Amino acid sequence: MAAYIYGVIDSNDRLDAAMTGLKGTLLRNLPYRDMGVILSDFDKRIAPITKDHAFEHEKVVERLMEHFTVLPFRFPTVFDNEEGVLSMMSARYDNFTDNLRRLRGKMEFGIKVIWPGDKMRMRLTPDQNSSPLLASDTPVKNFLKKKFQEYQKEKKIENEAEARIALVDGFFDGLAAEKKLEKLKTENLLLCAFYLVEKGKQEDFRQAFERLRSSSGEFKYLFSGPWPPYNFIKTANS
Amino acid sequence: MSSRDVVFESKEVTLLEILDRVLDKGVVISGDLVISVAEVDLVYIGLKALISSVETMERLRGAPFYGPMQEPN
Amino acid sequence: MSQEVKTDSPGDFLEELEKTRDSLPKRIAANPQNVEKGLAKLVLTLIELIRKLMEKQAMRRIENGSLSEAEVERVGETLMKLENKMVELKQIFGLEDEDLNLNLGPLGKLL
Repeated sequence: MAAYIYGVIDSNDRLDAAMTGLKGTLLRNLPYRDMGVILSDFDKRIAPITKDHAFEHEKVVERLMEHFTVLPFRFPTVFDNEEGVLSMMSARYDNFTDNLRRLRGKMEFGIKVIWPGDKMRMRLTPDQNSSPLLASDTPVKNFLKKKFQEYQKEKKIENEAEARIALVDGFFDGLAAEKKLEKLKTENLLLCAFYLVEKGKQEDFRQAFERLRSSSGEFKYLFSGPWPPYNFIKTANS
Repeated sequence: MSSRDVVFESKEVTLLEILDRVLDKGVVISGDLVISVAEVDLVYIGLKALISSVETMERLRGAPFYGPMQEPN
Repeated sequence: MSQEVKTDSPGDFLEELEKTRDSLPKRIAANPQNVEKGLAKLVLTLIELIRKLMEKQAMRRIENGSLSEAEVERVGETLMKLENKMVELKQIFGLEDEDLNLNLGPLGKLL
């Protein structure tokens, strides 16, 4: 029977209540040494891969998070049979042990910041001192001059972005065990930050966001969480 | 009242936040490429596993993939 | 405990987040109509990536003066030809710059 995986948990006990997964399918905990894999049979009810299913899947993982430390699996992960699952567990046991230990008692929060990147680019004037290498007036040189001006503009923007990101990140100093910062994913999306915060510090973290939110007029902020630690799973190679 | 005083919960943004995590992150067992056949995503684990997954899918769907797509009844 | 997603500006974030969704297809729909375009997107996105990396490298070396006059000419001419070729290829496959946006995550710093 094909197995649809929700995640790995730090328990090898049978699941307490009759917990249900997607579309009322029955969840069970497949034990492997001191941990377990939360899965259900993969049947026609859950076979179509849709946004609604992804949404429901996430809700199941969150319910699990209330009782266990969960390593959430990417959606959808389906194995042909339980043997395949156990074989995967054998290969990844040490890695999962490390992850469970690191992530116990902690949850993920997301902070996103929008800045007026397009306006800032327009306000920038090109440096008049170009490189001496590009002095003459040929098509190739003119092509390179344009590229070079763009390059210099980009560098200025990047430096400004780094400074602003450091300021934002500063609000959360000391509140997160780990963090992941994705910078300038688009012109205006200055920062996508992920923070791994332990339960005891979550209220402080929320308050830090409120302080951030009231700090700058031109910037826009988004807060999300708490999530299962999707962004903090470390694979063997990372 | 300034818009800064009002905090919106947006369903669409929430969905994007969920999809970004659930579709791309977490424990990844397969490779990075997923090939979709007849609009069913098959997780690429390896060629042998892929072939047996197709067979599993066919059994579950109750129909082979190799003919023209049938309308669901 | 359910999670919150809160922001003053949901519209702005929706707009930006839509842009970050990879246009590089992680799922290639293997049916006759769009297999060609899907593969073209894949190949051209990768070529664009390399081309932009080469451009950035050239700019760095111009900046720190580590190219000779002759090298500047050669590099400049090559980059020009590459750019023109890419414009041509994009036109042939009906692809815009936005279609070839590769979201690299941590590698994004390379560009």
